[in-house]
Amino acid sequence: MATQTEASVERDGVTEGSQDEVPATEEVLGERRESEGFEAPVKEATPGEVEEALPAPGMVEEVPDAETAVERQQAGGWFGRLRQGLRRSRESVVGQLNAAMAEFRDAEDEEFWERVEEILIASDVGVTTTAKLVRELEQEALQRNVTSGDELRALLVEHATRMLQGPVELDVSHSPTVILMVGVNGTGKTTTIGKLVNFLPGKAMLAAGDTFRAAAIEQLQRWGERTGAPVVARERGADAAAVAHEAVEAAKRDEVDVLLVDTAGRLHTKLNLMAELDKVRRVIGRQLSGAPHEVLLTVDATTGQNGLRQAKMFNEVAGVTGVILTKLDGTAKGGIALAIADEIGVPIKLISVGEKAEDLHPFDAREFAEALFGDL
Amino acid sequence: MFDTLGERLNAALDGVRGSGNLDEDQVKKITREIRLALLEADVNYAVVKEFVGNVRERATGAEVSKALSPGQQVVKIVNEELANLMGGTSHKLTFASRPPTVVMLAGLNGHGKTTVAGKLALFVRKLRKNPYLVACDTYRPAAIDQLQQIGRELGVSVYSEGTEPPPEEIAERGIKSAADGGYDFVVVDTAGRQVVDVEMMQELQRVRKAAKPHSVLLVLDVVTGQNAVEVAQAFQEYADFDGMVLTKLDGDARGGAALSVVSVTGRPIRFASEGEKMSEFDYFYPDRMAGRILGMGDVLTLIEKAEQQMDREEAEADAKRLMAGKFTFEDFLKQMQMIKKMGPLSGLLGMIPGLNKQLRGAQIDDSMLGRVEAMVTSMTAKERRNPKLLQNQGRVRRIARGSGTTPQEVQKLVKQFNEMQKMMRQMGRGGGMPRMPGLPGRR
Repeated sequence: MATQTEASVERDGVTEGSQDEVPATEEVLGERRESEGFEAPVKEATPGEVEEALPAPGMVEEVPDAETAVERQQAGGWFGRLRQGLRRSRESVVGQLNAAMAEFRDAEDEEFWERVEEILIASDVGVTTTAKLVRELEQEALQRNVTSGDELRALLVEHATRMLQGPVELDVSHSPTVILMVGVNGTGKTTTIGKLVNFLPGKAMLAAGDTFRAAAIEQLQRWGERTGAPVVARERGADAAAVAHEAVEAAKRDEVDVLLVDTAGRLHTKLNLMAELDKVRRVIGRQLSGAPHEVLLTVDATTGQNGLRQAKMFNEVAGVTGVILTKLDGTAKGGIALAIADEIGVPIKLISVGEKAEDLHPFDAREFAEALFGDL
Repeated sequence: MFDTLGERLNAALDGVRGSGNLDEDQVKKITREIRLALLEADVNYAVVKEFVGNVRERATGAEVSKALSPGQQVVKIVNEELANLMGGTSHKLTFASRPPTVVMLAGLNGHGKTTVAGKLALFVRKLRKNPYLVACDTYRPAAIDQLQQIGRELGVSVYSEGTEPPPEEIAERGIKSAADGGYDFVVVDTAGRQVVDVEMMQELQRVRKAAKPHSVLLVLDVVTGQNAVEVAQAFQEYADFDGMVLTKLDGDARGGAALSVVSVTGRPIRFASEGEKMSEFDYFYPDRMAGRILGMGDVLTLIEKAEQQMDREEAEADAKRLMAGKFTFEDFLKQMQMIKKMGPLSGLLGMIPGLNKQLRGAQIDDSMLGRVEAMVTSMTAKERRNPKLLQNQGRVRRIARGSGTTPQEVQKLVKQFNEMQKMMRQMGRGGGMPRMPGLPGRR
């Protein structure tokens, strides 16, 4: 086993605490990533896996009951209390804020600040950004001797707005402008591209760079049909960078205004997939200097604190120029946007609120802050 | 900022270690850390409040054990409470005595329902069931194509009627078609929906009524934040799910949402879906998830995975040869393939307690294993058994060509292999661990 572990712990900076035996392939990846001809490792969705992991017999419980054969967990005690307490928790968050603000007397009330903290955290703002925001707010409230809840709420919106403010304009001044869409699986890249076609001025072209997920190409093609934008696509499993290459050529040739390049969803922790993204980006840049002009990261508004990691890693690899906050039509308030803008420094540029092609809007920091903390 | 609870607690308890009992101040300090860590892990704030209250009560209470240090004791309490909250035991699949067993999937957009449908089909086939997929997502463009492609890859039949008919009718006819076709396990895939969309939620209710599923599973992305609670409550109201599938567990999200949902709905998490391969799907082990949220590693899973892949006798024989300095590239290859079967390297490393911290930020790439493997498989059998032959530059060049690597890489591999072999021989002779002068070689 020892040799395996050594061979497996592989990269610089990993070696702390591991054997100092340098494993065989330490520099291999580095070389691969630098070499232009790096073929992205093809992810497999292998049906061949079938035989490998047959579970031990006896794991299946046959239950004679033909009706719901599912054991329901009876939850009593504090589960029950909690469930009661959390009913309609959204209303309760807003209600709490209202209640807290109504009771606000002066800035020295510790309990009050704790409640504000709680409210921010319940909106996914996160511990660090919440602490910062509350600290700022508390200081200013003390300085200005704020005594009314309304005034304080206005102050809260003010501070949040400041945190969220950034350039929201998309740079579409090039011909063609190339926009690269990146993000974790299921955050809405392909759907957002469909919406962007309507949102952006001029003639658009789409590139089906998600060559991995089943039917992703077809999904983009449907959007092409709906919006009338031509779609450059290859077969599933093709090299995403090759698709991007072809698409940039076509966009130049056909003189379209905007080329929207879709990519496969990838977890920011998958190094090989992030390297693939890096390659797509470089291939585009080599063909059209200065491109991609925008790299837009889709972040699902329901995402919790992991959104920070996503933004950080994608920014490092792909140089994100803006975030599109998606699925804001749900129950999530998207407080993670505040954390991303504050801690990662990437501006939020667009919000996506529905399923229709026109449901894409420029991000308005004040409006968003008011929706988060305003009086409802 | 991204500290795990385990680390936070260790830090908070550093001062506590050695003291006899936890005083009130110390308990306060600890509970604060627990609170912050859980919030950063996206556990719902109200759940955190209750949880921390419970821990505080138990920590200040009478449960002072002589066997444990106060620090260990808190960790134990937290772990127990977490596992308790997550439902304690894992919930295995059950099958209807009169097939087909019908399982319906529901969830928000983009959380992975369609992928899970495929994975679940493959999973039950391994349990000797004959699965059937029913495509009821009539909204998202190409969702049906996606399910069909997955079905083709897995060799699982997919029932679809396009996007025109109401999903509840598709479900009903699909299930009938499964029964007629002799399939005994049906997975009904539904469209993703937002819980505020009442019409869509009512549609889900109708699909549920028509499908009469034996089980309804809520598919939930592990990155979900604070609103997991509202989402779960809404799906409970309209779809009355009896369990959850937690998806995208191969990312680095802490997964506090899982905790929130279990605690407010009382429904257990039944499956864990953790990768892009269709086979990366398993029963969910709540006690292990507690460890993940705590950042304590997942030793149990690791041990189990290793055991599944290793033939004990073979391993012992290998070890003997290894110690005798007869370790060859063939053994090396065998071991490497075994590791690969255990799953992605990054995942494995995450399971080793204590390693998490050192490896944070470290980037593990599984494809490098493939590169080494390519080099070794490009060697002739003779070369593998006798690495000395690889001093020959002609052979090195041939291997590099064959494996798509460079001669430098091959040489490097050979050099490291030789060093490894030397080290093992030394150990085998009882020379003690090299570079660890403190260790006696012989008793």
